[in-house]
Amino acid sequence: MEDKIGIFLCECGPNIAEKVDFDKVKEAIKNLKSVKFIGQHKLLCSDDGKKYIVNAIKEHGLTRLVIAACSPKQHELTFMKVCEEAGLNPYLFQMANIREHCAWIIEDKKEATEKAIQYIKSAYRRVRYHEPLEKKEIEANPDVLVIGGGITGLEVSLALAQSNRKVYIVEKSSELGGKLKEFNKIFTSMRDAKSFVEDKIKLVEQEKQIEVLKESEVEEVLGYFGNFIVKVKTQSKESELKVGAIVVATGYELFDGDSLAHYGYGIDDVYTALEFERMVKTGKILTKKGEPPKSVAIIHCVGRKECGYCSGVCCMYSIKFARYIKEKMKDAEVIEFHRGLTLPDKNYEKFYKDTKALGVNYIYVKDLLIEGNTKPIIKYKTEEGQFEKQVDMVVLAQAMVPPKGIDKLAKTLRIAQDKSGFFIEEHPKLAPISTSKEGVFIAGCAQGPKNIKESIVQAGAVAGRILSSLVPGKKLEPEVRVSQISESLCIGCQTCIKVCNYGAIYFDEAKRVSRVNEVLCRGCGNCVASCPSSAIQLKHFTDREIHEEIVEATR
Amino acid sequence: MHNSVLVIGGGITGMEVSLMLANAGKKVYLVEKSPIIGGNVIKCEHVFPNLECATCMIAPKQQEVLQNPDIELLTLSEVKEVKGKVGDFKVKIHKKARYVDLVNCIGCGACYEPCPVSVKNEYEENLGERKAIYVPYAGSLPNVPLIDTDNCLRFKGEDCQACKEACMFEAINFDEKDEDIELEVDAIVVATGFKLSIPSDSKYGYGKFDDVYTAYEFERLFASNGPTNGNIYKKDGTTPKSVAIIHCVGREERGYCSRICCMYSFKFAHYIKEKIKEAKVTQFYREICTPGKSYDKFVEEIKKSGVELIKFEEIEVAPKNGSIEIKYKANGKEKVLSVEMVILSSVLEPHDDKNQFAKVLGIECDEYGFYKEKDEFEPVLSTKEGIFIAGCAQSPKDIESCVAQAQEVAGKILQLYGR
Repeated sequence: MEDKIGIFLCECGPNIAEKVDFDKVKEAIKNLKSVKFIGQHKLLCSDDGKKYIVNAIKEHGLTRLVIAACSPKQHELTFMKVCEEAGLNPYLFQMANIREHCAWIIEDKKEATEKAIQYIKSAYRRVRYHEPLEKKEIEANPDVLVIGGGITGLEVSLALAQSNRKVYIVEKSSELGGKLKEFNKIFTSMRDAKSFVEDKIKLVEQEKQIEVLKESEVEEVLGYFGNFIVKVKTQSKESELKVGAIVVATGYELFDGDSLAHYGYGIDDVYTALEFERMVKTGKILTKKGEPPKSVAIIHCVGRKECGYCSGVCCMYSIKFARYIKEKMKDAEVIEFHRGLTLPDKNYEKFYKDTKALGVNYIYVKDLLIEGNTKPIIKYKTEEGQFEKQVDMVVLAQAMVPPKGIDKLAKTLRIAQDKSGFFIEEHPKLAPISTSKEGVFIAGCAQGPKNIKESIVQAGAVAGRILSSLVPGKKLEPEVRVSQISESLCIGCQTCIKVCNYGAIYFDEAKRVSRVNEVLCRGCGNCVASCPSSAIQLKHFTDREIHEEIVEATR
Repeated sequence: MHNSVLVIGGGITGMEVSLMLANAGKKVYLVEKSPIIGGNVIKCEHVFPNLECATCMIAPKQQEVLQNPDIELLTLSEVKEVKGKVGDFKVKIHKKARYVDLVNCIGCGACYEPCPVSVKNEYEENLGERKAIYVPYAGSLPNVPLIDTDNCLRFKGEDCQACKEACMFEAINFDEKDEDIELEVDAIVVATGFKLSIPSDSKYGYGKFDDVYTAYEFERLFASNGPTNGNIYKKDGTTPKSVAIIHCVGREERGYCSRICCMYSFKFAHYIKEKIKEAKVTQFYREICTPGKSYDKFVEEIKKSGVELIKFEEIEVAPKNGSIEIKYKANGKEKVLSVEMVILSSVLEPHDDKNQFAKVLGIECDEYGFYKEKDEFEPVLSTKEGIFIAGCAQSPKDIESCVAQAQEVAGKILQLYGR
């Protein structure tokens, strides 16, 4: 069937009409092959304008459309909907931006007109090669897998279960609660950590919609948003879960790199943060010799330099440690050696000032080293000079780092990590808890160091995203402008697999070619650009379409 | 249940909540006091730490909000009364007339030029001018102007209709009236954001002598769509050779660190170094606060570009022979530094009308004036059931934390519709 192409010119009031000579434009395009209709309207995006297009499509049986108007950023979607309304596949349409690119920036009317003609011809040549693309709908499973049973994982699970979602928690260890279980109190309210987290665990255990798999690890993940198949290994038993979304809430560990020795770790009475929490939990703060310490030093920023970031939490928990000590031993000397205090929330400064008022000493240091045989000696440098101080006990406030072995999970899920090992979010500002892999979310310290409150907020955010995007009974519409690989041209080099950010390409071992999972592909074009044998084409951005457009634009 | 939600505030937080709820099939009324959406983010040229163009980052979100059929945007609108309870709130809104039709106007801007009035543009921190019919910034969304009736000649009784004559789309209607709108909603989200305080303390010299700028004034000076087209000029039109950035302005008085000021101060240092390579930049700080996995790296990069950092105990900005002198105490020693420009990095504060507005909503403020959370670990729940707080209305925070809270609020509201 012969194509009938319609070209519509929008005056955009005086905006385009004043700068582009429409008579000259019409003259230039009227004899183009297959052009059966040329329309002109004062404002195509208005209700009247849209009706005008629909009627013309129906009346003249138009099969392809060029609309010369404003930027596609403004109205491409508007006109795609118009096409649908008229029964035309919306991908058989192309926009030519003769407002922002011509009328608004070129003073000379003749020049603006010439450029507009060129743009319209470009769009015309391109649209002749467009293929109709069909929207697809896929069924989605509303169930969710949460990896990690710490406070973040518990909160996500509870929020989802309360909305009647089935949730599986996969926890590596033999119990829920994560690191928080080891704490005594939580800053700044100093509420009891144990009861806080145990209440949550109880709620989770009572919740029928939550199934907890302890001593379990995720072995393999197949599928995509809405339909993941996950292999989980529980001790030696394997099981398979079917879920629509996956939440990674794998938490953190405390820094234990080489520089711990630099801070005296290994000398008697030098403790890590968690060792100190455990000691406080016994009810007694005692030195190795069994005496209450008369002086305690708390060292901030342990590992910050090696990690290359500030965890944003250690200053606050160090101040909490000072409270622990002052509560038990009012007269003990407590010195916090810090490198600038990070107190980033509305009530944190007050917490610090109140603690300082208890007689805690804060020293800003430029450099610090701990030595000693029987007792730790702190050698430190301030703006004023070099000093030494012997204390009975030292507590190291370490930075937060990703848990060991997390790289394996990253590979299994095909989500990216930063240099430190934290998972990378979809966008550092606008999408902090989603990843480049749709349907895989990150929350809490898996995304980056944060405190309990912030982790809980992220847990809630993930629950929000899942409740909003994965609605029971609602089908998902994947991107239709996706890559396709020619089996005959593919040489099996797998370059495309390496550059795909979405894990959308897999290798067909039997045929030795790469294949696209169309549900996962987001149409970014990375694979197209990197394919050495030009075996990959992106639908709606094929070489032919782009070539035709460029040929005309550069004529 | 009405299957509808009211969101107050059209900044990044309010937009995110609205989009998530609308995508889940809820009807959203998004009420915004100003004529545009985008909030404080659109005042910025770049955002830290990736130095991404702020308006480019946010424009797709704004477009999504404007195009979403389930979001009804009410600009120039304020909530006047709230009654009822979760699942059934009755809300009265006062919507000021824009005098320009949101549907018919295509945002071509033909109406501004003939307007004979020129006044200071408050959206440009009074550094630039605008007409009586105007859009706040080039590229504002919705891209539809409004008439400022305080300055429009016609509203002052003169027979001017220059804008109406210039409009090809009959979009201007001088007879438009303010409206009182009543809504029924299940839940309310307070995402009213923050303000940056203008330092009233005379020690900072703000308002006393030229070339002492607030953070947002400086953002506008650097903004490519701002009053100087992105050129950092002193008031006399010359380029400053030395700039001091003072961190923690207002921290002592307000009693908290607002988390983002160090980072945006380092961003400012980058702005200056980018535009004026040879400029001497000195940053005066009390504590450097850069909590986040990628923030230290950003700071290291800025330090490499040759900025000087001074930890101060006391500071005072004073004039001296046409330039500015910074008297400061560091390590107990008094020192002096002469500079040509000063930028004051202030802490984030709640709005002035917080107590009044809290009363309208029936919620409480905390000791700092932010809306009070129900519980330390439920920061998005206000003290009244069904009313949620998100973003900087709850406490100072960066964009990513605002977005996370917005998403959490959306989740909590969707949970209301329950099992």
